[in-house]
Amino acid sequence: MGALEQLLNHPGLWRGRGTGLQESVSVRSSGFAPLDEALRGGWPRGRLIELVGGPFGCGETRILLPMLADCAAENLRVVLVGPPAAPWIPGWKQLGVPPEQILLIRTERVDDAVWSCEQVLRHPGTGAVLAWLQHPGIASLRRLRLAAVAGEACAFLYRPSTAAAQPSPAHLRIRWQGAQDHLRLEIFKNTGGWPAGNAPIHVPIGPGARHAPPR
Amino acid sequence: MPLRDEPTKPLRIRRHPGGFGTGNPGQLALLPTPAQRTSGNPEPVSGQALWMAVWLPHLALDALAQTGSSRTEPLIVVEAGPRPRVHDGNRAARRAGVGPGMALADALAVLNAPAVFDYCPELMHSHLETLSTVLLRFSDHVCPEPEQQRILLEIGRSLRLFRGLEALCGQVRKTLRALGYSPGIGVARTPAAARLLAGIRNSRRPVERDALRRVLSPLPLTALPLPEAAIDALRDVGLRRIGDLLRFPRADLALRYGDALPKLLDRLLGDAPETLPRFQPPERPSFRLDFDQEVTSSEALRFPLKRLLLQLEQALHARHRTVQHLELQLAHREGRTAMTLERSHPGHRAEAWLELWNIRLSRQALPAPVRGICLTAARLLPITGNAPDLYGNSRDTVEGNGFLARIRARLGDNAVLRFAPTLHPLPEEAQIERPTDTTASHKTAPVTPAQRVPGAALWIHPPRACPPPASAEWLGRLEGGWWLDGNDQRRDYACTHDRQGRIRWVFRDLRSGQWHTQGFWG
Repeated sequence: MGALEQLLNHPGLWRGRGTGLQESVSVRSSGFAPLDEALRGGWPRGRLIELVGGPFGCGETRILLPMLADCAAENLRVVLVGPPAAPWIPGWKQLGVPPEQILLIRTERVDDAVWSCEQVLRHPGTGAVLAWLQHPGIASLRRLRLAAVAGEACAFLYRPSTAAAQPSPAHLRIRWQGAQDHLRLEIFKNTGGWPAGNAPIHVPIGPGARHAPPR
Repeated sequence: MPLRDEPTKPLRIRRHPGGFGTGNPGQLALLPTPAQRTSGNPEPVSGQALWMAVWLPHLALDALAQTGSSRTEPLIVVEAGPRPRVHDGNRAARRAGVGPGMALADALAVLNAPAVFDYCPELMHSHLETLSTVLLRFSDHVCPEPEQQRILLEIGRSLRLFRGLEALCGQVRKTLRALGYSPGIGVARTPAAARLLAGIRNSRRPVERDALRRVLSPLPLTALPLPEAAIDALRDVGLRRIGDLLRFPRADLALRYGDALPKLLDRLLGDAPETLPRFQPPERPSFRLDFDQEVTSSEALRFPLKRLLLQLEQALHARHRTVQHLELQLAHREGRTAMTLERSHPGHRAEAWLELWNIRLSRQALPAPVRGICLTAARLLPITGNAPDLYGNSRDTVEGNGFLARIRARLGDNAVLRFAPTLHPLPEEAQIERPTDTTASHKTAPVTPAQRVPGAALWIHPPRACPPPASAEWLGRLEGGWWLDGNDQRRDYACTHDRQGRIRWVFRDLRSGQWHTQGFWG
């Protein structure tokens, strides 16, 4: 028994499950129970998360809003780096993210965007960073990963669907696809353990209220 | 003895070097060291003007040594001109009898195939400027004299900070040695005397006027910065030492030898004031090294680069600044290669930067052999404390907006934006963009009921006409702007899914019946 314990504690031995890596990661609830379960508790903080898919506007921002509202409630900043459109502030505010907490960074060049992401990720006042990067190099992704680990923020990287085939140092990679009033999410990489089941998760998107136009 | 008397005691001890108190460990730092006691240099009173001259006689050789070349065979630095002459020679050359001022032809006759380098005054100036920046750490009044390869600094006010004259001199010497220079240091109550003492490497430090006279008197006339003819003329009348000159009435000297000589003596003793300009460090400090031979591998650039980074560290330390962005220029026979390096957080430590540069250089193949390198700090940043406050909470410290300042500095002021809501009902008018330097502390207006009507869409773009959607989820009707001329709007808002899965935020203009897309739902 003692020998087995000794063997299990050997640093060179990696065990598929229960490595103890994941326990130290604090999470923020995503607001959807099935998604929380699949993510082992919620969106991990201090981790680089890739959301791969397209095109822009299928609801891939809306699934983060409950988490962003949590950040804003804690007086933490939400930083948008290079989004393809401008945020509509009254909409964000209705969902719990007031304009004081929103910071928009516009850049043309990828390395400027990566550098600004690093800056905001390392800052303790940042709750979440949402970055739209077209073609970041592998070195840029590594830098982002390091910056994410250095801070406490949730780092989200939106990348086009073609990026799914490329390797990436991100901790968590999720493929998303718009499907009518749902967003279909598929976790295909989750560092520190196996993805909890391969079944895609459907997160409801859409205005909900449905009524005919007044005549 | 009462405790509060202690601070005054060391002063008393200094004035009477014979009577030392009991060995109280608290006073040890202020007591003169045994060397001081025996050398008879009384410790100066802090605040009195005192000048230090740093003379760099072998600046050209020091600059060459910084490139990493250490030669044992003879090496001479030659000043170009109609009659080229030796500016300086290394130890081997000097041993063979070649010294400064020798004609090049004579030197070449004496030495067997020496390495010959051109003397470049601009390069020496840049070295001296770098050292002046470094020396700003010790005094706020630094005055470089490039023609004489000398830097003067006023140290009277720095004595207390650096715990005495000997400690200060030691630190200056150590700092310069660490950067690879060999200085001669002279200290006196006047700049002229400090220059003179530095030039003859005299280690006495006359602080009082009488002491200065005593120190200067036995020195030979050749120590004076006078033309050779003038010294010969003085020698012809039987004068041998500076003391002989000082005994003469100044008016008689002026009659016989002109105004320059008595003025020099007045300045030596401090009877005539001498004002020196203050050195202003450059806004964009740059550090340059020229190699004695072309460098072909990036590995070989590491040593000289380390030298430059050490200079940078010292210069930044002196000015209490830090950098985040460095530029390195490699000079080739034709053209230059520029490389930049930017860190995510500022810093001035040479080792940290060197590590990054090594990574960069090891990935970069040199396009051509390199003849010199130049390191430039584009923008100096103030050092901001990143320490957390008493409660370990560093969220809103000065650093809090420092990172925004850094991003703005790099991307431009209009790249970092905040939003302020307005009360306008039309979505495209409901917000204005503001650069972040305006204070966003005040609470912003709530969302008006009219702004809630079109739903909580997240992304907006200016309205664009689009074909009517096949199906739509209705959000609400907005009527507004009728109080403004020509801006009367009646819109029905809706969400619609397009074929690619996007949820578009659209509206129908009730007047024209035309559909427009306004943004994205999420």
